[in-house]
Amino acid sequence: MTKMRKAVTATVVAALTTFGVAACGGDTGDSSSGAGGTGTGDVNVTMTSFPDYVDPQLSYTVEGWETLYNVYTPLLTYKHAKGEDGTTVVPGLAEAMPQVSPDGKTYKLKLRSNMKYSDGTPIKASDFTYAIQRLFKANSGGSVFYETIVGAKDYAGGTANTISGIVTDDATGDITINLTEPNGTFDSILGLTFAAPVPPTTPLDKDATNNPPPASGPFMISNVQAPQTMTLERNPNFKSVKDAGATEVADAGVDKITITQNKSNTAQVTDIEQNRVDYMSDPPDADRLAEVKSRFADRFRMEESINTYYFWMNNEKAPFNDLRVRQAVNYAIDPEALNRVFGGRLHASQQILPPGMPGYQEFKLYPGPDLNKAKQLIAEANPADKDITVWTDDEPDRKRIGEYYHDVLSQLGFNATLKVISGDVYWATIGNQSTPDLDTGFGDWFQDFPHPDDFFRPLLNGASILPTNGNNYSRARFPELDAKMNELRTKQLEDPGVKDQYAALDKAYMEQAAWAPYGNEQYTTFLSERMDFDKSYRHLLFSQDFSSFAIK
Amino acid sequence: MAAPFGEVEVADEPPLPTGVPLATVQGRSPWYLAGLRLRRNKVSLGFGVLFIAIVLLCLAAPLWADHVAHTTPDANHITDTIDVGGQQVDIVSPDGTPIGPGLRGQYLLGADQNGRDVMVRLLYGGRTSLFIGVVSAAITTIVAVVVGLLCGYYRGWIDAILSRVMDVVWAFPVLLLGIALGTALAVGGLSLGFTTIAGDSVWIPILIIGLVYVPYMARPIRGEILALREKEFVEAAVAQGKGSLRIMITELLPNVVSTIIVFFTLNIANDMLLESALSFLGAGVRPPSASWGTMIADGYQTIYTAPHLTIIPGLMIVLTVLSLNVFGDGLRDALDPRAKIRLEH
Repeated sequence: MTKMRKAVTATVVAALTTFGVAACGGDTGDSSSGAGGTGTGDVNVTMTSFPDYVDPQLSYTVEGWETLYNVYTPLLTYKHAKGEDGTTVVPGLAEAMPQVSPDGKTYKLKLRSNMKYSDGTPIKASDFTYAIQRLFKANSGGSVFYETIVGAKDYAGGTANTISGIVTDDATGDITINLTEPNGTFDSILGLTFAAPVPPTTPLDKDATNNPPPASGPFMISNVQAPQTMTLERNPNFKSVKDAGATEVADAGVDKITITQNKSNTAQVTDIEQNRVDYMSDPPDADRLAEVKSRFADRFRMEESINTYYFWMNNEKAPFNDLRVRQAVNYAIDPEALNRVFGGRLHASQQILPPGMPGYQEFKLYPGPDLNKAKQLIAEANPADKDITVWTDDEPDRKRIGEYYHDVLSQLGFNATLKVISGDVYWATIGNQSTPDLDTGFGDWFQDFPHPDDFFRPLLNGASILPTNGNNYSRARFPELDAKMNELRTKQLEDPGVKDQYAALDKAYMEQAAWAPYGNEQYTTFLSERMDFDKSYRHLLFSQDFSSFAIK
Repeated sequence: MAAPFGEVEVADEPPLPTGVPLATVQGRSPWYLAGLRLRRNKVSLGFGVLFIAIVLLCLAAPLWADHVAHTTPDANHITDTIDVGGQQVDIVSPDGTPIGPGLRGQYLLGADQNGRDVMVRLLYGGRTSLFIGVVSAAITTIVAVVVGLLCGYYRGWIDAILSRVMDVVWAFPVLLLGIALGTALAVGGLSLGFTTIAGDSVWIPILIIGLVYVPYMARPIRGEILALREKEFVEAAVAQGKGSLRIMITELLPNVVSTIIVFFTLNIANDMLLESALSFLGAGVRPPSASWGTMIADGYQTIYTAPHLTIIPGLMIVLTVLSLNVFGDGLRDALDPRAKIRLEH
């Protein structure tokens, strides 16, 4: 009897211990996050990965932009609207669209008057200069867009104390920007949060995540505990922006948004289903998607998104410095397999530009999957170094993508090691050149603005190989293609033949197999019952528009 | 983490034969007596057999993988199909749903979302978990015995220093200490001077688990040595001129062997639990390698639609830990019926 009692006790304890293991991780969507909201105007949001930075000049992830779009308003901004309409650049803190000189090199804007940041500090024209200076001093991944400003490179290199190409007058609000050459994308990049003015009390060369600068949008950040949670509340001084005539900048529809990181996608889905959380930034995982689609059709929809998913390969280092090895990977990858990992939400593609992006022309240079052809190319290349590290992050679908890619590379004869790191530090880690063993790994890119240059310059231009916060993870540097990219940027997208030339550039990069792209992901909107589903919408550039959140 | 073990009640000694002159009674060694007691404990023996069966099953993983499942634990088969009842069925459907369990050689326990055979991963995962459990328990045992002997025999400043170090380790919750070390060593690995262990190596969790449990074993052994060194046979050995090392190895160590054996068995179970917890939390075995802990972590993401992916490895952990605990309990009763050994934290 004693033995039996001990056996039963041990069984119960072992079972509790084992399942306790399952209970103690992953799900951080607890009641302490204020689930369900405390009032009519409070909304709870979950993200699988916290924003990389809570800093308008540094943030360069989907999660970061989704959050900051409604916190920091640039001189120009993007219309708060669904679909293509949302890609229209409109005046933000500037009174009107810029006056551009006939040679396309000088942009003149005027700051609206009497505007204040959320802490009451007046917004000044020189704050724009300070924001651009921060891009270079804090090594922002977005600095590459603004290098065409006269004097920007000298300032970045430390040979000048200011950016001579930006002239501002705080008294009148006049801002003049001189470019080294015409730039067909400049209106678009002035609308990015990178260029949002911030007061000079913001650290010039440091990340301001823990103490973000005051807001100029409808929401302000009232609390940050990175990488766990942050709170957005109504900006009490946003009225000064609206009163100054910024009609295109939408007002907040709710009082407070609490963002919480939750690594368990399935727990996020359950939280929304049971109305404990109001919105999840990521799509439901494949195993829950069918259930969500069928049971919650009144508060779930698929959304178009302009993006490309790919594997980056370090072009500077063996074995991926050999074109044949990179081509072999392109032959070996099976986009249909990855589509199933995404639960059928992936449009298979093997090119850099995604559908919907100007210049997109469908082609496929590496028909397959053709493992035999891939192995043949590897045999021809006979790389000396077959020990490689495959990087991915810990979001469930990305971990599975990494495991698939690891298996493909192992089949090709590589001695691959999979490195899975946290999603909130993944991009900063692989974008830091001092990180060891950056051989290959998971990558994705969502359009910053509707121009093909956005898919080439930050990701594939040699000038985008930065010490930190770089986005050219493949370390791609093809001088003739860089030159072509620079030449195309001086032209307007509507000029005859320009889109065809971007399509040719797309093909040229794929001939070099700079990446191994495999598809374009469809996104989703899934809200709790209490949210106004019809008002909330997904913006083509900034994901869910938080200003569209409304309670029924 | 693990369950405390209840104190052991004194078991009956085997009775001496009656009516036989004492001079004709054959002597019985303590090991013989322990064997007799263990054989009488059918529950413990049963769980011991269960543990051996689990070990054998896991050791047979390559046989199952090669001859039945025809795959490897890490091979992805996302777009492949298998024949089920004469029909070709997707291993992972276009909407991402993996095939479930079924009475067939391939995918007996179904597939995961990468199209990997769960049965094959379960067997290979068991090998990993058992390997980590046994090797880390061996590390714990070796270090704890050395520390316990040194502290208990020499006392004084050696005891003071080593005991305080043990106290510091003891002060940390085992799981938190394991996570902290596992996370810190995951990226850069561990440099030991003469060699470097890669961050993804299975030796990282082995070393972490092996070391964090040392105080839990070293302290009871130290206590036993402290008591033993006052006994007459130790004084006699000193009087005979035996050196300290010799006394520790030939006089003291044999007297704590039964304690060590019992602790070793119980440590395997605890180490396997800790490995599962660390792997579940991403600080143990690295993907894509399978262990029961990583399988629970992977399956947890699909617990609503495919609960078997979590339940089956969880059940294997329960069975293995339970069998080791009950068998270790019986072993303790058999080796030293008066023992009050407890392994708790």
